[in-house]
Amino acid sequence: MSNDSNNVKFRLNNSELWGGLIGLGLGGFVVWSGLKLKLGTINDPGSGYVLFYTGILMCLFAASIIVAAITEGGPSFGSRWENVSWTKPLLVIVCLTAFSFALDPLGFLLSSIPLMVLLLRLIDPVRWSLTIPIAFLVPLGMWWVLKRVLLIQLPSGIFEIG
Amino acid sequence: MDTLINVAHGFGVALMPINLLYCFIGVFIGTLVGVLPGIGPISAMSLLLPVTLSGTPESGIIMMAGIYYGSMYGGSTTSILVNIPGEAASVVTCIDGHQMAKQGRAGPALGISAFGSFIAGTFALIALMLVAPSLASVAIAFGPAEYFSLMALGLVVLTFLTQGSMAKALLMACIGIVLGLIGLDSITAQPRLTFGRMELIDGIGLVPVVMGLFGVAEVLLNTEQVIKRDIINAKITQLLPTKEDWKASAGPVARGTILGFFLGILPGGGAVVASFASYALEKRLSKTPERFGHGAIEGVAGPESANNAAAGGAFIPLMTLGIPPNVVMALLLGAFVIHGLQPGPLLITQNPGLFWGIVASMYIGNLMLLVLNLPMIGMWVQLLKLPYNILFPLIILFTIIGVYCSSNNVFDVYVMIAFGVIGYFMRKLGYEPAPLVLAFVLGPMLENNLRKSLILSQGDLLTFVQRPISAACLALAVVLLVGPLLPALRKKRELVALDEGA
Repeated sequence: MSNDSNNVKFRLNNSELWGGLIGLGLGGFVVWSGLKLKLGTINDPGSGYVLFYTGILMCLFAASIIVAAITEGGPSFGSRWENVSWTKPLLVIVCLTAFSFALDPLGFLLSSIPLMVLLLRLIDPVRWSLTIPIAFLVPLGMWWVLKRVLLIQLPSGIFEIG
Repeated sequence: MDTLINVAHGFGVALMPINLLYCFIGVFIGTLVGVLPGIGPISAMSLLLPVTLSGTPESGIIMMAGIYYGSMYGGSTTSILVNIPGEAASVVTCIDGHQMAKQGRAGPALGISAFGSFIAGTFALIALMLVAPSLASVAIAFGPAEYFSLMALGLVVLTFLTQGSMAKALLMACIGIVLGLIGLDSITAQPRLTFGRMELIDGIGLVPVVMGLFGVAEVLLNTEQVIKRDIINAKITQLLPTKEDWKASAGPVARGTILGFFLGILPGGGAVVASFASYALEKRLSKTPERFGHGAIEGVAGPESANNAAAGGAFIPLMTLGIPPNVVMALLLGAFVIHGLQPGPLLITQNPGLFWGIVASMYIGNLMLLVLNLPMIGMWVQLLKLPYNILFPLIILFTIIGVYCSSNNVFDVYVMIAFGVIGYFMRKLGYEPAPLVLAFVLGPMLENNLRKSLILSQGDLLTFVQRPISAACLALAVVLLVGPLLPALRKKRELVALDEGA
C-alpha cells in the first residue's frame, strides 16, 4: 500500500508538478528580465526593480507547488479530462486559431461567417435550417450595427468586403 | 443638509432621459447575463466597455454599474428555476431556491429574492451616500505607502478567498502584476517585456485579457460537458411572498444586508463571499437548521440580500480610494480611465455630478430591476430555454467584436484568443483567473506607489510600518498569508473559498 502511494507521488505524469515547473520557468524569466532592465537602488528603484522581486516571489510560490506535488502527489493530466469530451474545446480552439489567422487577410465578414458555421455544426450540431440563417444573419447584423450605427470600421481584408 | 442637496443634484443627473436610457440598458443587460448561464457580468461589462466611449462619462458608468447590480438580480432567477447559478454570487441560492421551486413555491422564492435584493440594494445606496464622502475626506491624507499596503492587502484577501491552493492563487497574482507592467515604464519611459512589438508599447489591454480568461475560457469549459437544465416548467403564480414568508425572511434580509454591505467594502471580498457568509450565518442562527437545503426561504432571502448589498458596498473603495476591490470594479475603473477620470478621494469634490449621478441612478436602477424581475419573469424563463449550442457561438462572436471595438486593433483579438486558451488550461489545472486579473489592474499602481514611497523615504523600508494605516494593512496581509499554515485557519479558508470565475 505504502509502495503504491509512493509510486503515485513520484510519477512524472503529475499535472501539479508540471504546473509548478511552468510557474518556475516563468518566474526565472521574470527575474532575468528584471535584472536586464536594471534594478536601480532602494533610494531610486529602476524599471526592473518590481519585476525582479515579483519574479523571485513567483519562483518561491512555484517551488512550493512543486514540493507539494512531489510530497503529496497530484492528479494526472488524463484525470483532469476524465468524463468530459476534450475534443470539443480542442475543436473550438482550432476554429478560433484559424479565425485569428483569417481575420486580417479575409476581413470580418468572410472570416466570421465560416467560424459561426463551424462552431454551430462541429461542437454540438445545430440543424442546417438554423445554422445557415444564424451564421449569416448574426455577423451581417453586427457588421451593419457597428459600421452604420456606431461608425466602427471592422477589418475588410484584401477583398475589401465589409 | 449637504448630502440632501447633493442627492437632489444626483437625481437631476440620473433623471436626464439619456442617462435613464443607459441605466435601463445596463440593468436589462445585467439581468440578461445574470439569467444566462455561461456569461456573467465580467464578460458583459468588458464587452460593453468600448460602448461607454460613445456617450458622456455619466452615461457610460451608469450603464456599467447597472450591468453589475442587475446581474445580481438576474442570477437568482436561473438558480431558482434551473438549479444553475447565472453568476457566482447566486451559487448558494440554488440550494434552497431550487428546492422551493420543486415544491411548487418558485413564485415566493423569486419574489423574496427580488424584494430582498431591492431592500438590500437601497440600504447599500443610502450607506454609500453617507460613508463615501467621509471616507474620501480621510483618504486625502493617504500617501503612497498607504496605497501600496492597501492594494497589497486587497490582493492577499482575494488570494485567501480563492478556491484551491493559496500558492497557486499567489502565483496567479504575481503573473497578473508582471502582465500589468508590460509596456512603457511610467517613471523612466523604458519599454518592458515588449519583445520589440509596437502593439505592446502601451501594454496589454484589460478587455482582451478579461474576455479571454472569463469569456472564451468559460465557453471552452462549458463545451466539454453536456449542460443539463432541470427547468421548472410549471406556471409561476403568486410572486408575492405570504405573511409567513415575510416573517421568516425579515431577519435574514436585515442581517444579509448589513453583513453583505461590510463584506462588499473589504478589498478582495464581494458579492460571492457575502452570499456564502450570509447562508452560513442563517443556518447557524436558525432554530431548525435541518430545513436548510430542503427549501428554507431564509436560505434564499439572506444570501440574495447579502450579494446585492455587497454589490453596493464594493463601490466605496473604488469611489473613495480609487482601488477596485474586485474584478468587476476593476472593469469599472477601466471605464473611468477611458474617460480620463481618476476615481479617488478627489472624485466627489471635483466631479460631484458624476458621483452623485451614479449613486442616484443606482436607486432608479433598483426600481427598474424590481419591475424587470417580477412581472417579466415569464420572458426570462423562455430565454433560459435557448440551447447552449446556439448560445456559445454567439458569445464567441460578441467577445471578438467587443475586443476589436475596444481598440480597433486585430492584435487584441489574438491576445484574447491566447488568453482564452491559457485561461482554459489554467482552470483545468486548478489556477483561478480572478487574482491574476485584479493584480493585472493593480500592478502598475502598486509599482508606482512602492517606488514613490521608497523615493520619498530615501529607501527606508520602515516607512511602511511607521504609518499606522499602512502597518495595519500589512499586518492583516501577513496574518492571511501565514494563517493557512495553521490547520484551524486552513479549515476556515476552505469553508469560505470561492470560485470567482463562475
